[in-house]
Order: sequence, then structure tokens, then C-alpha cells
Amino acid sequence: MFWTAVLLGGAATYLTRLLPLVVSVRGPAPWWLRRYLDALPIAVIAALVGAGVALPDGAPTGGAEIVAGFTALALARWRRNLLIAVLGGVAVVAALRAAGL
Amino acid sequence: MTERGAMRAALAEGWPVLLTTVVIGVTYGLVARQSGLTVVEASASSVLVFAGASQYAMLELRRGGADGLAIAFAIFLINARHFLMAAAIRPFVAGVPLARRLGLAYILTDEAFAMGIGWFRRGRREIVYYAVFGTLMWLSWNVSTIVGAVFGADLERPERFGIDFAITAVFTAIVAISARHRTDVVVASAAALVAAALRLAGASTLAVVIAGAVAPVVAIAMRGERE
Repeated sequence: MFWTAVLLGGAATYLTRLLPLVVSVRGPAPWWLRRYLDALPIAVIAALVGAGVALPDGAPTGGAEIVAGFTALALARWRRNLLIAVLGGVAVVAALRAAGL
Repeated sequence: MTERGAMRAALAEGWPVLLTTVVIGVTYGLVARQSGLTVVEASASSVLVFAGASQYAMLELRRGGADGLAIAFAIFLINARHFLMAAAIRPFVAGVPLARRLGLAYILTDEAFAMGIGWFRRGRREIVYYAVFGTLMWLSWNVSTIVGAVFGADLERPERFGIDFAITAVFTAIVAISARHRTDVVVASAAALVAAALRLAGASTLAVVIAGAVAPVVAIAMRGERE
């Protein structure tokens, strides 16, 4: 299962990086395809956030993940810095879990 | 500017990004190990996929019990954005031999794309800037993955430190930082809420990924909202 995911996923990823560099395509991609591809990673990743916050470890969240999620969101919007946002979110979830949430 | 100057610029301008990559990479190694991967598997995932968000997604999906094909599909969806980035870089590699293009494609990441395009937009043409920065990114990500994975086994009860939440925090920050338009915010919010509801209702992780893949249709429907 792991190797299927990594070998197939890795090969597919490499093709997404390689094809536009070696295959010549005439004209730009249609607007709807550009827009779809543009929004796709954000949407898939946001879906994983929603699922991860709602059901962090097989059981519905007690609230710690929701507060920490919004903390990471606010820090990322404010500082535009991945590192600060991740460390802040992790620190908040650790503190809230220690407090029993 | 000389080739050497372009190489120096890549390091001088890129080091903050490299530093962040090291921290996120060590975290990836830790979480990968905690989620049951061996050091070799964690390292292989960073070498073969070499795309942070999709690798974190792989761990998250494994935790949810998704099978290999579903995970590979999710990795592809998250990385399909490279088509647009590679297409934007193409004019700058016009004179580069095929063999080198194979390598330049391999090191194409969000960060290398952003740095490279920033360089080209200043009127520079040295592809070595992108090549050096991309290679340093590769080294940072792969070495830090191994470091995290090696030390990850010694960490007891990692949930105490919120390490398991690092995946969700990385995703949240990526979405928050890369959302540029109202359309992005609408698409991301819709995807997150639908996925949360699906998950609470007992849906599989594949259903969650498909919900994410359908959400951008909203962006097409909101045509005229931007651009």
C-alpha cells in the first residue's frame, strides 16, 4: 500500500512537472481548466483540514483542534509565514490538550 | 551578472525559505515515523514524491485507512498545479538540452517556482539561479526528512506535544497563505466544511479527497469574479 502510493503518486507528480517542459502545446490552456487547476490544490488541502479538525484521531474533536486551527489560520494570514503558523497551532493544541480539552 | 553571481544570489535570497523547509522537513520525518513508516520509507517518499503538502496528505490518508491507489490519486490532485508552474517556466528553458530539463523538472516545487519566476521577472535569464535554489531545496527537504525520521522513533506519546496536529497546521497555513482571491476563500471554506461534515458522517477519506476535487467547480462558476 505504501509503495503503491509513493511510486504511482511520485510518477504522476514527476509527469506534472515534466510534461510542460518537454511537450510543446499550442496556445494557452482554456480558461476553465486554468481556473480549475489553480483552485484544485487549495480545495483538496482545505478538505483535508476540515476532515482533520473534525475527526482528529478517530473521535470527534473536543474543541482543541478547532481553536488551534483558527490560531494557525490567523497567524498565517497575519505573518504570512508557514513556520510561525505551524509552531503556533501546535503549541495551542498541546496547551489545550494538557488542559483537558 | 555572472553565473557565479546568480548562484550566490540564489543562496542569499533563498536561505529563509530553506530554513523553513528544514523545520517542516524534520517535522515530516517525525510524523512519518510516528505514523508507522520506517526511516527508509519516510526518506523514499521525500525522494520519489518531493512535494511537501502531498506527502503530509499521504500520512493523513494512511491514518484514515485509505488504500494505495486512493492516496496516489490524492497526491496527483494536489500536485496537478505543477502543470501551470512548469508551463510558466517553459519559455526560460527554451535553449536547455533535454537531459537537463529532466533534472529541472524534478526540482520544480512551489518554492523553486516562486523564486525562479521572481528572478526572471527582474529581467534575469540565468537558469542556474533556479537550478541552484531547487537543488538546495531538495537537499534541505531530504536531509531533514531523514533527521526527523531517525529521531522520531524516540518520541513518546507525541500527541502530548501536538505533533500529530502538525499535519493539519501545515495544511491550514498553506491554504491561508496561498488564498489570494475571494474565490479561493469561498472554494477552501466550502471544501473544508463539506469534508468535515462527510468525515463526521463516517465517509471514507477518498470521499473527502473527491469533495476537495469537486469544490473548484465553484471557482469556474464564479467566472468574472477576478482576472
